[in-house]
Amino acid sequence: MIVESSAIVAKGLGIRRGGRWLLRPASFGIPGGVIGIAGPAGSGKSVLLATLATLRRPQTGTVELFGEPVTTRTALRRARARIGFLPSDARWASGSTVTDFVSYAAYYQRRPSSSVRRVLDGLDLADVASWQLNELPADLRVRAGLAAACVHAPDLAFLDAPLSGLPAHAVRDLVPLLGTVAPTVVVTAESAADLGWCDRVYLMDAGRLALADRVTARLVRPVFRPPQRTMPHIAAAWSRAHRSRGALAHA
Amino acid sequence: MSELARLVRPARVARVARVVRLDARGGALIAAVALLAADGAVAAWRGLEPGVADWDGAVAAVEGSVRWLGPLGAGLAAWTGLRAQRLDYLRALAARSPAVAVLHDLSVLVAVCVLGYAAGALVACVRAFSVGGFGWIHPVGLTAGAATLALFVIVGYLSGRLWAHPATVAAVVAGSAVWASGRPRWGWAGLLPPVELGRVDLFEGLKGEVLAGQMFWAFGAGGVLVLGYVAAVTRRRGPAAAAAVALLVTAVCTLRLEAAGGVVTAPSAREYSCRDWPVTVCVHPALKGALPVLGAAVAPLATRLAGTPAAFGRVEQRSAREPAGVSGGTAAFHLTGLKDGFARRAVREIEAGLWRCPEPGLAGPGSYQAQVSAWLRDEPVPAAPAVPFTRWDEQRRRAWFTAHYPAYRVCGLGPASYAG
Repeated sequence: MIVESSAIVAKGLGIRRGGRWLLRPASFGIPGGVIGIAGPAGSGKSVLLATLATLRRPQTGTVELFGEPVTTRTALRRARARIGFLPSDARWASGSTVTDFVSYAAYYQRRPSSSVRRVLDGLDLADVASWQLNELPADLRVRAGLAAACVHAPDLAFLDAPLSGLPAHAVRDLVPLLGTVAPTVVVTAESAADLGWCDRVYLMDAGRLALADRVTARLVRPVFRPPQRTMPHIAAAWSRAHRSRGALAHA
Repeated sequence: MSELARLVRPARVARVARVVRLDARGGALIAAVALLAADGAVAAWRGLEPGVADWDGAVAAVEGSVRWLGPLGAGLAAWTGLRAQRLDYLRALAARSPAVAVLHDLSVLVAVCVLGYAAGALVACVRAFSVGGFGWIHPVGLTAGAATLALFVIVGYLSGRLWAHPATVAAVVAGSAVWASGRPRWGWAGLLPPVELGRVDLFEGLKGEVLAGQMFWAFGAGGVLVLGYVAAVTRRRGPAAAAAVALLVTAVCTLRLEAAGGVVTAPSAREYSCRDWPVTVCVHPALKGALPVLGAAVAPLATRLAGTPAAFGRVEQRSAREPAGVSGGTAAFHLTGLKDGFARRAVREIEAGLWRCPEPGLAGPGSYQAQVSAWLRDEPVPAAPAVPFTRWDEQRRRAWFTAHYPAYRVCGLGPASYAG
């Protein structure tokens, strides 16, 4: 269903890879909030995420972001500056320090060094800022990836399997963060049960994207309820970041 | 604060340096510098002629090293361009222009490859300098090589970026190797860089206008590709206009290279370094180290030809365009380098210029002609054919040779020549 408030609107979007449809041509809208996309390995979640983030071209159809079709280069560039993307694998940067990695992202986002410090503080990474990524435990690596992806306080964040392979306690700590990195967050996981904390969960399989039923969502929602003591701290940090960017835009 | 001052603000420079460092580390480009430097040094060294101390030869060797470095640099660039896609989530989804990441990568790649090239240039220049290099270095020639290498890098990187497939890397390396070494060497197209200048005749000099044409051609072609790509991704008119200018420069340079007619050298003023004992031997100043060996090698031939019409008192190195032989008391020979046996080859060339056989077999192994020729060259005299000549002493051989020189000139020696 497409509604006016949809952050992402796909019209006739079809994605093929290796001679098969990962997503058969379909039109749909993804509203704001925290959206989960679940599907088994190889179902095409990562490719769909990259396509919605404009990193891949679809075989058919178009994508509208923030209410604007990204068919022209100008519109594409404008939309891309408002997107944050966390891939499932960022081993290329494993030899660099957290600060270098986030500074790298900040450079391309035209963000000052202060925004690097702010995002590291907001994600509790200040203590490990000088550590190399390959020295960090997996959950801190995810936080570092989040910091790089969201150093510019994006309006739309795509997070590809950020909780995959993490221990339960790390998942509990990370879940509250994931929902606060942007007004609209699209996150993937292999199982819908891992996305119970999302506002809405879609299932992707056999080339189709369908909304998970409410019963499933209700059953899984309590599993990863955000700890209330962490949420306000992170949310406050990010709302500050968004406010400052909004102020800049108004100025 | 002026725009320039803003650009070079220390904090800003440090920030860009951090980004470049991460890019270089991510692509393992720092390790590639060592490989390219080794390749450049070996390629340049191989292009140097042993014992020749001239700057033209050094420049030709360095420019020739691009034929080896180019495909390697292009392959590295294609691989980097291919792997750059994994960074798009940070560099394409960004506020900066999409051209910035490409320009960053190209800057790092060109710097890495030019460092490798500089290693080769350093080897060649230090060697030429240490042996008192003759002539003048051509900075334009060295720059032409660097610009050509940059062109290889640009082609490789953009190919890897536009066709992100592992096969692209192999195709780029193969295509670059064919362009560098497999294309026809004749005509004006043979002058498009990278050009194999080969051995530059010591009595000729590299034409500065051709080197400049090659340099600007490489700059122009590289500019067309980079600016064209930037114009395509940014949709800006400025880069598009600059790309058009670069295309014009490339076209003009192509015409100028065509006008050169495939000739990259021009005769230069003849200069000699001479040594007067035991005979007067003169060679190009870049080969003056050969004088003592040449003098000793040529002396027996000069002594044994004394009293004949072929007697000579001066031995001169000549350009490859001029024939060897003895004329007017001067023996001319060719010398391109001081590889082992160079003096023996020079003596053979002078001696071979003394006679002309109506049939090739008359001077073959076991012939009367070959026996006398060996003696003239001061080589061991063959025992066959069994003639008194093999038993005679030096004085008698010289007397006999003076008398029979006319027969020797036309390979007319036979059993009758030794009668009486």
